[in-house]
Amino acid sequence: MAGLEVTSLTKQFGETRVLKGVTLGIADGEFVSLVGPSGCGKSTLLRIIAGLETANSGTVTIGKAEVTNTRAADRNLSMVFQSYALYPHLTVAQNIAVPLRMREMTSLQRVPVIGGVMPGARRQKHSIAQSVARAADMLEIGPLLGRKPGQLSGGQRQRVALGRALVRDPAAFLLDEPLSNLDAKLRVQTRTEIAELHRKLGATFVYVTHDQVEAMTMSDRIAVMMDGEILQCATPEIIYEDPDDIRVAEFIGSPKINILPIEQSGAELSLFGRPLKWREIGESTRAMQMGLRPEALRLTQSAPHFKGRVAHIENLGAEIFAQIALNDEGLRVTLRASPAERPLIELGAEVGLGFDAAAALIFDADGKRMRKIEIIAGLTPEVA
Amino acid sequence: MAVLDMGVAAHPKPINHEARTAWGLAAPALALMFLILLVPVIIAGVLSFTNYSLGNSGFDWVGTQNYERLFTRSTYEKMFIATFIYVVTVVPISVGLGLGAALLVHSLGRISDIYKTIYFLPVMATLLAMAIAWEFMLHPTIGMVNRTLAMACGSWFDVIPFFANGCNDGFPLWLGDRDYAIWVVCFIGVWQGFGFNMVLFLSGLTSVHRELYHAAEMDGARSGWDRFWLVTWPALGPTTVFVVTISCIRAFQVFDTIEAFWPQGGGPNKSVYVMMFAIFEKGVQQNLIGMGSAITVLFLIFVMFLTLIQRWLVERKVHYG
Amino acid sequence: MTREWWKHLVLILGALIVLAPFYMMLSYSFKSPGEIDRGEGGFFGRQDIMIDPRCVALRQPDRADIEAARSRFPGQDDAGVQAELQAETEAACSMRPVVFNYTKAFTEAPLMRYLLNGVIVTVSIFLIQVVVALPAAYALAKLKFWGREAVFGLVLFCLLIPVHAIALPLYILLAKLGLTNTYAALVVPWTISVFGIFLMRQFFMTVPDDLIDAARMDGMSEFAVVWRVMLPTAIPALLAFAIFSIVAHWNDYFWPRIVVTGNRDLFTPPLGLREFKGDGDGSFFGPMMATATVIVTPLIVAFLIAQRRFIEGITLSGMK
Repeated sequence: MAGLEVTSLTKQFGETRVLKGVTLGIADGEFVSLVGPSGCGKSTLLRIIAGLETANSGTVTIGKAEVTNTRAADRNLSMVFQSYALYPHLTVAQNIAVPLRMREMTSLQRVPVIGGVMPGARRQKHSIAQSVARAADMLEIGPLLGRKPGQLSGGQRQRVALGRALVRDPAAFLLDEPLSNLDAKLRVQTRTEIAELHRKLGATFVYVTHDQVEAMTMSDRIAVMMDGEILQCATPEIIYEDPDDIRVAEFIGSPKINILPIEQSGAELSLFGRPLKWREIGESTRAMQMGLRPEALRLTQSAPHFKGRVAHIENLGAEIFAQIALNDEGLRVTLRASPAERPLIELGAEVGLGFDAAAALIFDADGKRMRKIEIIAGLTPEVA
Repeated sequence: MAVLDMGVAAHPKPINHEARTAWGLAAPALALMFLILLVPVIIAGVLSFTNYSLGNSGFDWVGTQNYERLFTRSTYEKMFIATFIYVVTVVPISVGLGLGAALLVHSLGRISDIYKTIYFLPVMATLLAMAIAWEFMLHPTIGMVNRTLAMACGSWFDVIPFFANGCNDGFPLWLGDRDYAIWVVCFIGVWQGFGFNMVLFLSGLTSVHRELYHAAEMDGARSGWDRFWLVTWPALGPTTVFVVTISCIRAFQVFDTIEAFWPQGGGPNKSVYVMMFAIFEKGVQQNLIGMGSAITVLFLIFVMFLTLIQRWLVERKVHYG
Repeated sequence: MTREWWKHLVLILGALIVLAPFYMMLSYSFKSPGEIDRGEGGFFGRQDIMIDPRCVALRQPDRADIEAARSRFPGQDDAGVQAELQAETEAACSMRPVVFNYTKAFTEAPLMRYLLNGVIVTVSIFLIQVVVALPAAYALAKLKFWGREAVFGLVLFCLLIPVHAIALPLYILLAKLGLTNTYAALVVPWTISVFGIFLMRQFFMTVPDDLIDAARMDGMSEFAVVWRVMLPTAIPALLAFAIFSIVAHWNDYFWPRIVVTGNRDLFTPPLGLREFKGDGDGSFFGPMMATATVIVTPLIVAFLIAQRRFIEGITLSGMK
């Protein structure tokens, strides 16, 4: 077990800059997710950590040792691949045993027949078989050991791939979108299992995914990547409630956060022509956009902050998401309502909306979060 | 052929109707399959027990006499030996070279496409024309091969007995020499066929999932040797079985080169008297149809046996499903 | 690159051996007989003007020619006129070796006819194969009928029979029907391509049923479905099969050798080349190699232009 660290990694494929100077420290035993849309460089970053790709510049450190120029086989890492990459001609047991055979047996010992009579081969075979059985027990795939990957379901293959990774005691586990080939139900179940596995092993996990739900539910910390950069790396709570960047706010959370334009004239800030009460700490910059999570909006009849027409309703049972059209130009916000409020939302009805000022997130024109500006709780009374 | 409208929903028995259409569509193919493939096999089987000749009004049943000759006469012993040597030489070498070339070409990336093109040329070229070109190359006096060999005379190559003898007494006659003839034919067989095998192996190689190599690296397979045995070779299993079978069948059918080099008699001392040539000589040229049919039957048995082994292997051994 | 030089070395050595006969064939087709005999002149030969001895021998002036030509060379005796005429003939019969080789290739034997026969035979074989195989493949892939498994089993069994192997009984059948030495003899045995049926069936299996049902909803008959829906979707597979079929039959020597005897009008290119070689007195290497070059070139050029397709087509058999 060890922590790992990457410093100022850059990577270019031809003209495309895939990584633009990525720095990230992962503590020993931590579960860190790299999350972002496809093409953001998260898989490349993982492959560079693994040693399957070489960076153009920057360093990779595992534990205390710098491994930037060490080949993958010598980095003592385990990896679970998106396609599982199981050897199709080997049984489950043989698949799981491969990392041990490759590392602990000499190439002479691995030769069929002759290898069996080499000194120490029997003892080694025995200890490998024990390790395989232990890994299989942990993942509850004991009954599958004699089968070949072609005879397994997707979920079973995924477990075998995990088994092959944890049969050794590597410095860290790298997981490259391991759940993306599973169906929705199995994904939820396996999510829990991987998180529990992490707690049981106490090992360092680096987990790449494009699914923000996976990242939110499993990680100690989430690194949100976009366009070859890490925008923010923090705990799930901070990433959700206190994002540094509008892109982070937009990527995390479902339904998506509502972004509303803020108008400014002199010292006045206003939303849809209605002045906002605000306060500034420190120096001033121009605030341009306000982010409101669906749950920060609420229905109100008295003194609504703005009004709109219900355009679409999604009833999920425990909660209702309503899309409210605010103007004729198609600007819509999503509101989270409780089932009790269902009678208030009729398709096409006009509703008044208020918002929880403390939950409003202010961003500048470039999408950077402005923590210096604070919207004060109360609403400015409606001016007729 | 029945042109019937399936769109009419009111048709009383659509299934029956579909069956009739299907038989109609398959009928020409079925008829030809019987006439051109199955009937001749039966004819060959029947005639192999006779002494039939084209032009004769009738024939006599001779029992297994043709087969007895096949297994007792020295001509046919030579036929079996020549065929056996050819197949056993050409198949492993052309498969091995094909695999080697495929691995090299595959490891080099785009620039190596030029090798792929070159190695594939003999597959495209009319074998008969190329056989004649080889005949000139191997001409004892004015051929390029012996001229090139002669250039090595007087250098340190003389240490090798082959060169020492060649420089003193002349290099081999190749096609005219009973010790060399079969090997020359084998060489041309390999020359012509290995590019085909290479391309098959290459398509096998590109279908190997790249992540498997990455997984192997993560699992600690450090050398190319380890990765070959862990990933490449098992993945090529089905391709290899197929390549070996098709090479065998092609090797059994060798004819063009031999007929081009030795229109009569199957080479010096019948040393390259292979089965296809024997069928041609006995059956067509000498009009000994019974004998030719017996060789045909034997030939078919060999080829079918090989293909059945291949199918069995593909389904049983190398099937990872 | 630097670490991989040995791979290039091995591959280049292999390439030299592979290319050697092509090099020689092309080179001989350029050179004069003398250069071939002495092994000189590099790749193209020196292209010195040479005199065609046969041409000269054919135009040897006789008595009448000398009489007729006397007026053109006033003041010369018979020997003088003869020498002048000889010189004229030689001038008329002299040409560059490359021209000599290729004109001989086309004039000594009806090479154009052979090439035309090659085209006729390969194209008709391919077309008939498609007409026969496509409907059968469609029926096997997409229609449900009693006996389908049996028919497909028969196809699989017939895949085991190489047509070359049953050449003798086929030859007897054709001889009995009096069809030897006809185009039919060259084409008929190849009209059924079991491999084509198998290949097309595998391809049609991947075509979604919805497409066929949509065509039926549009009111097409099954026959129309085959030719107007399945045929267009099968173009890539058909193209590959076309290459496979045409290469095999253009280059085939064994079968034409058996069923065509003597009748030059039916010779396919390989047969023509074979006869050329049989006739040759040995000094005819240049024209013979020119013939070989002409026969080999069409496929090689097509291959170089559409490499990927060709390799796909030829290795198709690898999909079995």
